[in-house]
Amino acid sequence: MKALRQIGTLVRKDLALQFRSKETLVLIFVFSVLVVLIFAFAFGPIFPERAERCKLAASVLWTAFVFAGIIILNRSFVVERSHSALHGIRLTGVDASNLYLSKVVSNVVSLLLLEIVITPIALQFLDLLNGVTVGVVLKLIGVLSMGTLGFCAVGVLLAVMSTSTSGGESLLSVILLPVVVPIIIGGAKCTVPLLVTGGVDNWFWLNLLIGCSLVFLASAYLLAGAVIEE
Amino acid sequence: MRLRASQLTKEFGHRAIVENVTFSVQPGEVVTIFGPNGAGKTTLIKILATLLKPTSGDLEIEGTDAIADFSDVRSALGVVIHEMLAYPMFSPYENLKFFGQMYGVKQLEARATTLLAEVGLQRFIHEPLHIFSRGMTQRFMIARALLHSPSVLLFDEPFSGLDASAQQFVLRRVAEEQQNGKGIVITTHNTELGYLVGTRFFFMIDGRLEEIARKDEITAETLLLMYEARLAL
Repeated sequence: MKALRQIGTLVRKDLALQFRSKETLVLIFVFSVLVVLIFAFAFGPIFPERAERCKLAASVLWTAFVFAGIIILNRSFVVERSHSALHGIRLTGVDASNLYLSKVVSNVVSLLLLEIVITPIALQFLDLLNGVTVGVVLKLIGVLSMGTLGFCAVGVLLAVMSTSTSGGESLLSVILLPVVVPIIIGGAKCTVPLLVTGGVDNWFWLNLLIGCSLVFLASAYLLAGAVIEE
Repeated sequence: MRLRASQLTKEFGHRAIVENVTFSVQPGEVVTIFGPNGAGKTTLIKILATLLKPTSGDLEIEGTDAIADFSDVRSALGVVIHEMLAYPMFSPYENLKFFGQMYGVKQLEARATTLLAEVGLQRFIHEPLHIFSRGMTQRFMIARALLHSPSVLLFDEPFSGLDASAQQFVLRRVAEEQQNGKGIVITTHNTELGYLVGTRFFFMIDGRLEEIARKDEITAETLLLMYEARLAL
């Protein structure tokens, strides 16, 4: 119970800080919209077929979310490091694994909210919004949630390490992107058939996405104590 | 015994910043550690606060091995270091409420309001910390350190950057906490204030700690002369 209470308190604090920092929110939103617009304007006219545009939409969405996610992860730890608030939290005696879990939850919530806003914009710009049903939206949210969980699971752990070094904000992109490749591929490969047919045509990619996300979460949870305390 | 450090050493690379430090703190005792910049005082405080692992040595806080079971002893510590250890975008009240929830402080809202009034921040409890002056921030940090009624207080340079009234506030507050039986460690390079606040005095130079005297064994003038002589060596 104590652990759950502490995780809940930490998540509320993280979300309050993120929503209070309006410049960061605007920055992340504008950045994501720009990524969508650049892809839509550069490649949209090349693909007149709906199926082709669905492939493009999947790539655009996952690219936007990955880069926006890196900004969110970085900001989330810069706030903790700038006045050693992370030391303040450590001094409360909270278990480092619970601190890690709270960061995963708050980053997943932030990124999911962004995805819920950006996805319709991207689909609209690629002229795909008409064919999307409620069922497809729900399945899409499921795939995005699982991908976001895996991304944040490993991203939080690497952000703890990278933000403790000088130049850490750039370092996170370099070390995180190669690790999350299976999640990006699995997520994009699941998103395409969802947009084209409304279902999953190859379970391998969904299994890869779920498997990688859960393995990342479990291994990062086990490593969190050593990484945060060092 | 509130705290017992034995042969604590911290090396960065091949350089020992803290070297074989041994001392203890009893309930109601204020240990003042004097030392120049770069002597290793902040590193020592961070080790005592369990924020930094020593390269070797033992540390016991309230009878618990603080190196192996650091999570268990942290709630017994109230720490003031150079960093704020809080969120500048939050107000002092929001910060105390957050940290109080993490510590599991009972009747938190009343406790936070009372503490902020005691440290003289009652007019600013809903202002964000980032607009605070150094002295106001220091007052907040003392409130934050006392929030969960810890039995050991670790204050790193609590007087630096403070005006006379804020320094008097720190002196009064430390004296009150000493009366409450807390074990207190203060580092400073200010011999005058350090003498006023302390009950036992140490010098820390080049990472080595040397016990000088208890307060009833030495005058402030003698302490200053000894300190200057050590620095000149």
